[in-house]
Amino acid sequence: MHLIRIALASLANRRFTALLTVFAIALSVCLLLAVERVRTEARASFANTISGTDLIVGARSGSVNLLLYSVFRIGNATNNIRWDSFEHFAEHRQVKWAIPISLGDSHRGYRVMGTDARYFEHYRYARSQPLKLAQGRAFGDDPFEVTLGAEVAQALGYSLGDKLVLAHGVATISLLKHDDKPFTVVGILARTGTPVDRTLHISLAGMEALHIDWQNGMPARGAGKVSAEQARAMDLQPKQITAFMLGLNSKIATFSLQREINEYRGEPLLAILPGVALQELWSLMSTAEKALFVVSLFVVLTGLIGMLTAILTSLNERRREMAILRSVGARPWHIASLLIVEAFALALAGVLLGLALLYLGIAASQGYVQANYGLYLPLALPSRYEWTLLGAILGAALLMGAVPAWRAYRQSLADGLSIRL
Amino acid sequence: MSTALITLSDLQFAWPGQPTLLDIPEFTLERGQSLFLKGPSGSGKTTLLGLLGGVQQAASGRVSLLGEDLGRLSSSARDRFRVDHTGYIFQQFNLLPFLSVRENVELPCRFSRLRSTRACERHGSVAAAAAALLSHLGLADEALQARRADSLSIGQQQRVAAARALIGQPELVIADEPTSALDTDAREAFLHLLFTECRAAGASLLFVSHDQSLAHLFDRSLSLAELNRAATPAEV
Repeated sequence: MHLIRIALASLANRRFTALLTVFAIALSVCLLLAVERVRTEARASFANTISGTDLIVGARSGSVNLLLYSVFRIGNATNNIRWDSFEHFAEHRQVKWAIPISLGDSHRGYRVMGTDARYFEHYRYARSQPLKLAQGRAFGDDPFEVTLGAEVAQALGYSLGDKLVLAHGVATISLLKHDDKPFTVVGILARTGTPVDRTLHISLAGMEALHIDWQNGMPARGAGKVSAEQARAMDLQPKQITAFMLGLNSKIATFSLQREINEYRGEPLLAILPGVALQELWSLMSTAEKALFVVSLFVVLTGLIGMLTAILTSLNERRREMAILRSVGARPWHIASLLIVEAFALALAGVLLGLALLYLGIAASQGYVQANYGLYLPLALPSRYEWTLLGAILGAALLMGAVPAWRAYRQSLADGLSIRL
Repeated sequence: MSTALITLSDLQFAWPGQPTLLDIPEFTLERGQSLFLKGPSGSGKTTLLGLLGGVQQAASGRVSLLGEDLGRLSSSARDRFRVDHTGYIFQQFNLLPFLSVRENVELPCRFSRLRSTRACERHGSVAAAAAALLSHLGLADEALQARRADSLSIGQQQRVAAARALIGQPELVIADEPTSALDTDAREAFLHLLFTECRAAGASLLFVSHDQSLAHLFDRSLSLAELNRAATPAEV
């Protein structure tokens, strides 16, 4: 115990360098843990985007592309698929439920998705969580009703009963607006932390009504125009959709149905397993994520090397301290352990301060990060992996402490009791 | 047991690659005796103290303390033996500046169980022993004892060093120029205190200095050059 007391008192005597060292370690620890936490959460929220869906089916293209537009609302479908293909598989004996998806329009940068009641019933995210309504209801039979994702409503300030106009295409600034057929907000979904929050949901009939008078990708002019009222009376059964999601009766059938869809003779289709495609997509991004992690590891190493430098430079001016300790009976291994204790104390203080900084940072930025990046950073205790990282940092500090300890050991053997300067 | 505390016989020592520095055929220090050893700097006195402390090893000959041949002990046993039986006072800057005065005095008891036991036997606790010694040496003020060691004057610091050398009653106190940083009046006062305390503790005092004017205060006075056959004639 007295060794620890002496080591701490000696450190306190050099408190300015000691504090700087502790602060450098704390910042590096905080950075490492923050990167680690964002990484874990990003991965989790990524994996949580969709759940319960066994197959996603779209026009034949790449699996990542299909995943991106159908789940993440990024990019565009290369082609549409026919409604009868959807019906064919929706009625397949292995299929429990099917959700049609129709994309292509937007509203002030947010994507519009046409679907039907089955979406609200069967779509799952995270750990099999269903979609919940925060206010109002899902769109109903009237084609011009829209149900907003949480972020859309919050960012654009919409509430129930508001009218909004959708734009053709997905560019943020669209020249072609469906301003003859405004939609009414009838519901706002609860926050999910997934791309659902950034989506406007309308019925397939609504999607059809928007384009009913369009020809060759252009709105009709003059007499060809169909008003909203007229559209309501028309047959709004879609002929094409963009993609559909399937839930199966038994997981075992997934691969055989996937093969069946891919070999469908009606038109070229592609069926993907969302889990596999998510993995594929994540592996594309994981290089950047790993690079970030490696960089923060090096920052920690820099912090520890700073500590090593501070201790080593102090050794020479502390020869007197060592000689005095030797004269009152400290053996060389006492001197060596003093330095190890010192390195450990610095690293421990750094780790604790780093943790404190991390929690302060999370507490301060939690709301902002959630609102702007859809990432929920939990104020949870460190995970087992994080404990391992912290333990490894302390271990590395001990190992580094062995260097000045060894030098001091040699030095105190050579100097003995003589006080040299 | 003989009355000799330190016995040196046929001691020879040289630093690696240098001529023989010390060649002492015979030297003894009796128990309870105070000895003034005169030696200018460079005469090998620090080396001699290192040999007595078991920090350096003689090339040949015997160094024995309390009848124990230091050359036969392992280096860690020598370390333990040294702190059990020897207290040191150096020229200056004897104290760990970041510890309190009392903590400095208690240090030897932290490393030597024997001295801790002796201090407790006599005063009840190590802290009480430190307080008693400090007050004998004119540093009774409790607030002062709790202060950082480097807030004291040099004279006070040397008295703290003396208290530290004496705590737990080691048989030998080695003082290496402890008074050179003090002015003449303070020197004699310090020495009187040191003698009194050494006598009270029954400790022998080996006092090394180049300042001949203090020699008359001691039981015995010797010059290192007389002892040391390796000394150059000019030093004698």
